[in-house]
Amino acid sequence: MNCPDVQESLGLYIYGDLPAEERGSLEAHMAGCEGCRKALEDARRLHEVLKERQPLEAAPELLVECRQALEEALDREQLGWAGLLRGWLSAAHLAPATAAVVASCLVVIGFGAGWVVRPRVAGLSPSAQLEYGAAPTAADLSNMRISGISRVAPDPKTGDVRITMDAQRRVTLEGSLDDPRIQQVLVSTVKSYDNPGIRRDTLDALRARASNPNFREALLYSMRHDPNAGNRLEALDTVRSLDWGPDLEKAFLDAVERDDNPGVRVAAIDVLMSHLDDSVLPVLERLAGSERNRYVRLKCAAAVRELGKDGN
Amino acid sequence: MTDGICLELSGNIPEHPSRLSGADELTLIWRAQRGERAAFDALVRAYDQNVLQLVLRVVRSPEEARDLYQEAFLKVYRSLKNFRLEARFSTWLYRLVMNVCLDHLRRQGARKEIQPPVNEETEQEFFQTLPDHRPGLDPERATRSKEIAGRIQRALERLNPRERMVFELKHYQGLKLRAIGELCGTTEQTVKNSLFRATQKLRVDLADLI
Repeated sequence: MNCPDVQESLGLYIYGDLPAEERGSLEAHMAGCEGCRKALEDARRLHEVLKERQPLEAAPELLVECRQALEEALDREQLGWAGLLRGWLSAAHLAPATAAVVASCLVVIGFGAGWVVRPRVAGLSPSAQLEYGAAPTAADLSNMRISGISRVAPDPKTGDVRITMDAQRRVTLEGSLDDPRIQQVLVSTVKSYDNPGIRRDTLDALRARASNPNFREALLYSMRHDPNAGNRLEALDTVRSLDWGPDLEKAFLDAVERDDNPGVRVAAIDVLMSHLDDSVLPVLERLAGSERNRYVRLKCAAAVRELGKDGN
Repeated sequence: MTDGICLELSGNIPEHPSRLSGADELTLIWRAQRGERAAFDALVRAYDQNVLQLVLRVVRSPEEARDLYQEAFLKVYRSLKNFRLEARFSTWLYRLVMNVCLDHLRRQGARKEIQPPVNEETEQEFFQTLPDHRPGLDPERATRSKEIAGRIQRALERLNPRERMVFELKHYQGLKLRAIGELCGTTEQTVKNSLFRATQKLRVDLADLI
């Protein structure tokens, strides 16, 4: 490789994307070329500087807003405003008995434009179409979230109207944290519900009984796997006060080594400093020497120095 | 079914792989193509977190993110009938989203001359990173950090749309070159060239920080 080839490949070299043969060629060239070694240092420094722009994370509310706005846009797309209005007005011209149903429907649709918490209870599909042996009452309709109307079909002979819609019924569960049903829903929500804000609220609820074995396991799961770094930090904050054990040590070591958020990693290091043993110090020492993220590296180095002063 | 694009996109975003099996996804696509809204909604849910992550690379405000997200999925909705399984659905979808992002960057570039500069404070508020939990981080360092982040953002905005997207996808999302090429509908060599040009420009723009 010559100098222009090397300098063109530096970016891919730092990303680890060069094939083995080219990597060998580049390293062999750099062993004898000070200019290219300096260019590599500059390229590495640029990568360090670029880390100051942390990856963006969507606020939980943003995804919710996006989904809501899309739903409304798709409703307009599917039926068109004119189509929606035509259907409702036509239905309203029919026998007076149907007007109440349409009126309830209109009210519910207006309400349905707002966000409603939909806990995903195991086994219940959130888009399940509700079926009634008898027609739903206005009270039933007010407790539903309409996610789509696929058909409004007036019958000119009978004066009735058939409205086909997808709707979800809101369910409220209330009880003690010792209730197994409550526990089941909370654990499932923390692990798999797709709204990070709701997962966060659930983590807050688990805090009061964090020592419960089911909740302990769920909190550790959240600390390791929640997609939202804020939630992982929240779980870590709760877990740190639990009785220390091999499961906690493993979770915190994994967080230090593998979490992709520096804030979470640094918080995990703080906790591990109080639980030093043969597994922890070598990890901190290794990261103090080789970690790419500057803050984590400095934090590990500070931790190792601190532990050295304490005679550990 | 292994979904190459989806897994690679989620290589740095382990949180958002599509949860659908290949067979489930095909069924949903078939049903959505026949007008079933619930099926389309399920497809959206399977991919929208990744789509939002992509879109956040190129916007300056939550309102823009919402608009681009909506634009992307409305395009998916309208074009779905034309999807003929000649490519993976994820490839088709992400490529469509990429084009929406590129169009947005082109419009942004055209408007730059007549729009007032983005208010830096608003810009920083929008970048809703975690509250800074780093113990021991002094306020001066935090301010400097935000200034540098702002400089980097403006330097990225000076890249052309293609260079910007390639750089964002490679450097900040960690995608493989092959995956980026598939998203852009181009070759790996073209991606490498765009990446090299983008890096050179950033090095010049940020020279005093290196």
